[in-house]
Amino acid sequence: MADLSVEICGVRLKNPVIAASGTFGFGREYDEIYDISVIGGLSTKGMTLESRLGNPVPRIAEGKSVILNAVGLQNPGVEHFIKYDLPFLREKGVAVIANVAGRTFDDYGAICSKLDGLVDFVELNISCPNVKAGGMAFGIKPESIKEVTRVAKSGLGKTPLMVKLSPNVESIPLNAQAAEKGGADCISLINTLTGMVIDVEKRKPVIANNTGGVSGAGIKPIAIRMVYEAAHAVSIPVIGMGGITCGIDVIEFMMAGAKAVQVGTANFTNANAMPEIIAQTNEWLDNHSIKDINEIVDTLTLN
Amino acid sequence: MKDLTATVKSNIKIAEKIYMLTLVLPENAGIIKGGQFVNLSTGDNSQLLRRPLGVMKAEGCDITVCYQVKGEGTQNLARSEAGQKLKVLLPLGNGFNLEGKTDIAVIGGGVGIFPLIATIREHCASKNFYSYIGFRNKDTVCLLDELGKSKSLTVVTDDGSYGEKGNAVDAYLKEADKLKVDLIIACGPPVMLKVLKRKLEERGNKIQCLVSLEERMGCGVGACLVCVCKNKEGSNVRVCKDGPVFDINEINL
Repeated sequence: MADLSVEICGVRLKNPVIAASGTFGFGREYDEIYDISVIGGLSTKGMTLESRLGNPVPRIAEGKSVILNAVGLQNPGVEHFIKYDLPFLREKGVAVIANVAGRTFDDYGAICSKLDGLVDFVELNISCPNVKAGGMAFGIKPESIKEVTRVAKSGLGKTPLMVKLSPNVESIPLNAQAAEKGGADCISLINTLTGMVIDVEKRKPVIANNTGGVSGAGIKPIAIRMVYEAAHAVSIPVIGMGGITCGIDVIEFMMAGAKAVQVGTANFTNANAMPEIIAQTNEWLDNHSIKDINEIVDTLTLN
Repeated sequence: MKDLTATVKSNIKIAEKIYMLTLVLPENAGIIKGGQFVNLSTGDNSQLLRRPLGVMKAEGCDITVCYQVKGEGTQNLARSEAGQKLKVLLPLGNGFNLEGKTDIAVIGGGVGIFPLIATIREHCASKNFYSYIGFRNKDTVCLLDELGKSKSLTVVTDDGSYGEKGNAVDAYLKEADKLKVDLIIACGPPVMLKVLKRKLEERGNKIQCLVSLEERMGCGVGACLVCVCKNKEGSNVRVCKDGPVFDINEINL
């Protein structure tokens, strides 16, 4: 059994496998299938100051080896989370990453202030492709990324700030550096890629929102490339995600430079995905006589 | 709730584009109520989403679901053969609650009949079911032996090629005044449930009516908030976790 624990911004995770925002709710549902205390951390459903209803249905579609979603930040509001969900997650002993979004710069500062000191990380969702106001708009250009990060960071005195980057941009290195300059303590990527699936009989997009965020196994090579680029552009830790379905995928992301990973869509394909991925990661390390998972981080040699 | 690897026992075409798939589970999954569903892999690893299918029959380790071939997922399922392994997450959803009820009107349309059959099978020894079932045409009529476990059964088709021409809702309403029931259960296409809600309201119906909904789903367990519908207060409820069975007066259709 290898040591799977990792430390990010002073927070110790029992393993590097974190549930990705929007795929795992606030943990309660999956805890009915297995004890979620086995996972390293959980990034919550994207939250806003006020509760939101999200987009009309259908909110999901499928392509080969990918899915698309456009839930649109449906959430009960941050106060509800603090009161009802946070105590449950604290009891479970998983690192709690509060994923937050806002309509304005000030929203980001305000929601961060409410969560400061209560959670292990705040993950800034500046790249939700499925909401019309805010979200995506902040996550495209380096200038706005730096500014929204700065405002969010001003609301945080104790809790480290994780900025989640969009892949639907011109330059990952420049955006990663913008987050770092804005005061981010770490970066996570990639959020979903914007896509569309058409029902040819109806001549209409399947998803009510027309476009949705593409995720799942099919996007992994894109994610790996972007994680590699980000990890080599900044000196803060990078958390990688995008299409992870097995332990070897975790190893791959970490070799590319990620210090931890997030698992999302795989939870839909296999309800036990995360415990299985953790076991497989350990197995790979054991098979390669590696005692500490941190030894593989950023060990890629380019051709 | 468990995610298990099941083995296909049989996969038989029972009507036009309708298949009956029986799976053997590695362990007894316990009691599965009519109206509950499973999330089933399609057998093609490039399809990342499971397919939510209402349970038609659950006996020991055998689970039977029925499905209509519609898209690539169900086309893959239709190709599955005995011995093939499929992943199945179950049991999901709330199911029909018939507690304290004795006489039940059943209104089913097309592929909506499968969870209703499970409910009839579960309770036909102790409760009376009066079923009104609509199919598109005679080629899609199926499972009459199962539906026949009802105290009475009326089958209609859209084109009149089997039974009278008409739909399940009207077939029920025609007899509603003389029928003494304390519950109505219904499942069928969204338009059928919409019409049912409107027509029950028009006649000032006081009998409780439970409907089972269908929606495109992600996780199937209530975490991803993909499959929502609006309740009467305008809030979202999750079809997979809070439903799929709802009181018709509690939701907007």
